[in-house]
Amino acid sequence: MHRFGGGISALERHKQAQRSFAELSSEISQTQISNLQAQLAHFRKALAQFASTHRDKIAKDPSFRHAFQQMCSSIGVDPLAGPRRGGWWAELTGIGDWQHELGVQIVDVCVSTRERNGGLIDLAELIRLVSRLRGPGGQVTEDDVARSIKTLEPLGAGYQVVDVGGGRKMVRSVVKELDDDQMVVIAVAQDGGGRVEVDGLVEKRGWTVERARAALENMLLRDGLCWLDEQDESCPQVYWVPSAMQWDE
Amino acid sequence: MALSTHTTRSGFLLPSIHSAPPFFTQQPNPNTQKIVTETWSRLILSYARHRNLFFIRVEDAETQGSEWDEILRNDRIKRRLLPSHLSYILSEMVAKNQAVYEPPKQTRSVLLYWRLPEEWAEVLHQWVTSTGQLTTILTFYEITDPPVPSPLTGIPVVLLRKAIAVLAKTGRAQIIAVADGEGARFFAGTGR
Repeated sequence: MHRFGGGISALERHKQAQRSFAELSSEISQTQISNLQAQLAHFRKALAQFASTHRDKIAKDPSFRHAFQQMCSSIGVDPLAGPRRGGWWAELTGIGDWQHELGVQIVDVCVSTRERNGGLIDLAELIRLVSRLRGPGGQVTEDDVARSIKTLEPLGAGYQVVDVGGGRKMVRSVVKELDDDQMVVIAVAQDGGGRVEVDGLVEKRGWTVERARAALENMLLRDGLCWLDEQDESCPQVYWVPSAMQWDE
Repeated sequence: MALSTHTTRSGFLLPSIHSAPPFFTQQPNPNTQKIVTETWSRLILSYARHRNLFFIRVEDAETQGSEWDEILRNDRIKRRLLPSHLSYILSEMVAKNQAVYEPPKQTRSVLLYWRLPEEWAEVLHQWVTSTGQLTTILTFYEITDPPVPSPLTGIPVVLLRKAIAVLAKTGRAQIIAVADGEGARFFAGTGR
């Protein structure tokens, strides 16, 4: 009997303890949540103030913008996130509009130069043309452009930054995969101011004549990524990659 | 080597593509050639306007010393537009009504429409009106070679005739036979 009775009261005690622990824990998490909410409210307020003070500077000053983007990524906030997640951030800073506007300008430049470069443009050239489009005070950096191109990805138009090696980057604006050989041709062309020929690829890259010819002919005839020159004194067929040529306009 | 614009001796600004070597080769890729053709067509028309030239012939690309040398050749990069390529470009210009074969029934010489006959008609009517010569009979010679240079100075008779025909359709001109050839009389009106 004693053991049984003791068993019940022990059980009661145990239940009691569990109840109070649960109460305590929910009290604690309640406090934590309200604490967190207070912090968040504070953060938002500070951010709103920051944004309204620096909105213009974010839009106009490339290095400030870069620092701002870095700050965002270090605290895990995406200033471009849509309305569902952190959209207020984009609204507050106006960086969403800014970035999308830049995206439109990038598309503008890519489309208007596509005729002559076949949909492949040197990143530096793109930046130069976009900056010119934006007029004075509208400077953008490589970082800005790369970020904007990322926002264009969901459009499925094939906008992508391509690394062609040697620290050189190009922006592709057509849905077209560049194969490895084409990347090499573009890199070689860039070293020669846009000019590339079969012999050059054989000498510099150790390719066979057939491989070099096939890569160049594909770029010329199939993809429209290079132009033919038949009036060169040293070689009857010289290929020129317009996107690797330096155009002063 | 950066491709840059260049101002010719006659003061014409060549676009940077004119210093790109492949611009002078007929391209095997039809899409690329389309760009080349369009660019050359624009270049030919704007140069014609700059120099007040009305005709271009395939032979202008054959020998040096033509009035078209400044654009058909680029000696700085040792390139020139080959006659066969020019012939192709001219055929495309004719197809787009940027030029007509003149004389007709041959394909080696074209009359350039840097202004369409309809546009020349307006220029002509405006000149006649502003110089107070409405209803006066003017000989073709008085129009193509006026004592005070006009926008119509040097216009070929064949083009002038087309422009007058446009005005005649709307009752603003009438071709009249005069003692030493042909002439026309112009009337007020808006053409509507």
